[in-house]
Amino acid sequence: MTGTLYYDIVYFMDAKFFDNWTNQLRKGVLELCILKDIRNRKMYGYEIVRHLRKIEGLIISEGAIYPILSRLKRQGLVDTSIQESSEGPPRKYYKLTEEGEEMVSQMNAYWQAISGVTDSIEKG
Amino acid sequence: MVTLSEGAKRSLDDYLRQARTYLRGSRSVDADEIEQNITEHIENELEGEAEPVSYDVLDAVLKKLGSPQQWVPMEELPWWWKIIYRLRSGPEDWRLAYISLALFVAGLLTLPYAPVSIVLILAGFLTSRAAISEAGDIDKIKAQKWLLYPPLIVVYLFVLLALLTWPLALLIPLADVYERDFRESYHYFSNENDYWFVATPAILAGLGLWWSILAIVLLKPRRLLQVVFRPFAEKVRSKWALRLLLIGLVLMILSAGIGVLYYQDFI
Repeated sequence: MTGTLYYDIVYFMDAKFFDNWTNQLRKGVLELCILKDIRNRKMYGYEIVRHLRKIEGLIISEGAIYPILSRLKRQGLVDTSIQESSEGPPRKYYKLTEEGEEMVSQMNAYWQAISGVTDSIEKG
Repeated sequence: MVTLSEGAKRSLDDYLRQARTYLRGSRSVDADEIEQNITEHIENELEGEAEPVSYDVLDAVLKKLGSPQQWVPMEELPWWWKIIYRLRSGPEDWRLAYISLALFVAGLLTLPYAPVSIVLILAGFLTSRAAISEAGDIDKIKAQKWLLYPPLIVVYLFVLLALLTWPLALLIPLADVYERDFRESYHYFSNENDYWFVATPAILAGLGLWWSILAIVLLKPRRLLQVVFRPFAEKVRSKWALRLLLIGLVLMILSAGIGVLYYQDFI
């Protein structure tokens, strides 16, 4: 019984550790994906969600994208503009600012370097 | 604008209220902008659904959006906002526990202003009882007991003390009258200590009689005790009542003993 309990605890701790790790990683990756998504063309909020939810495992809670967009806007990395829509009320479109463009390039380069580092460690 | 059923409308209002409460605490985001985006998102998701949109259809959309708690990291919120948030949108049982302790502490702080203090402590007590009833099973309250028990313990101790000692308020003046009559009739007392030989047996006899009656009454309906002193009297046993009965009888015997010792000398 003690052995089973020990393995239950270890399994629980492993699961918790993995959850925390993926949450932190996902948060950073999601920000990068949002910025990359609007790099080449402006998109409205729901359109970004619809696009990113196709990537399996990236979005756990769809609503989380909107606070990220709002934070990126406050940080000056994205800008918004209102445009009329033929399908309903006017839509708020998000686009990358110059500062955002620079940030995506830096983040992208860092991401490439980091994934390269993990590969090289594995290969020894 | 999509038409929602009554249930769906209530659910959406509640969801947006929660989102607003949570997001307004964070300085890094614009709560109004997010609320607008969320509303737009829901409308887009519900497009083409049969109207009025039912609760279940809306619920599926809200589940995919996720809980607003997941949107902003807790560390981004100021400490005071975390407390307000837990009070306003935390699980019902914890909210009641926090309110209960807050009322109790406010009651202690206002002790110099007695009526206000009593009202606050009683309100804390009632909130604690409500939280315990809400939990249903007492084992479910776990760590909440640290918040819920203080007002309960204080009020229960007061009630228990009042239940056991209220006859003193009646007995002491009565014993006084009895002692005066005795003194006037016999003009016997040699010193002040004699007062205690007349009044004390009367008080002890009255108290012993009351405790015996109380014990006999409580022997059977233990359920009444469990309800009044919940959750502390859950394991109350008949032997408690028997002990009280025994103490009551001892007091009466003691009273009779003191009386006999004194009066045999006097008569």
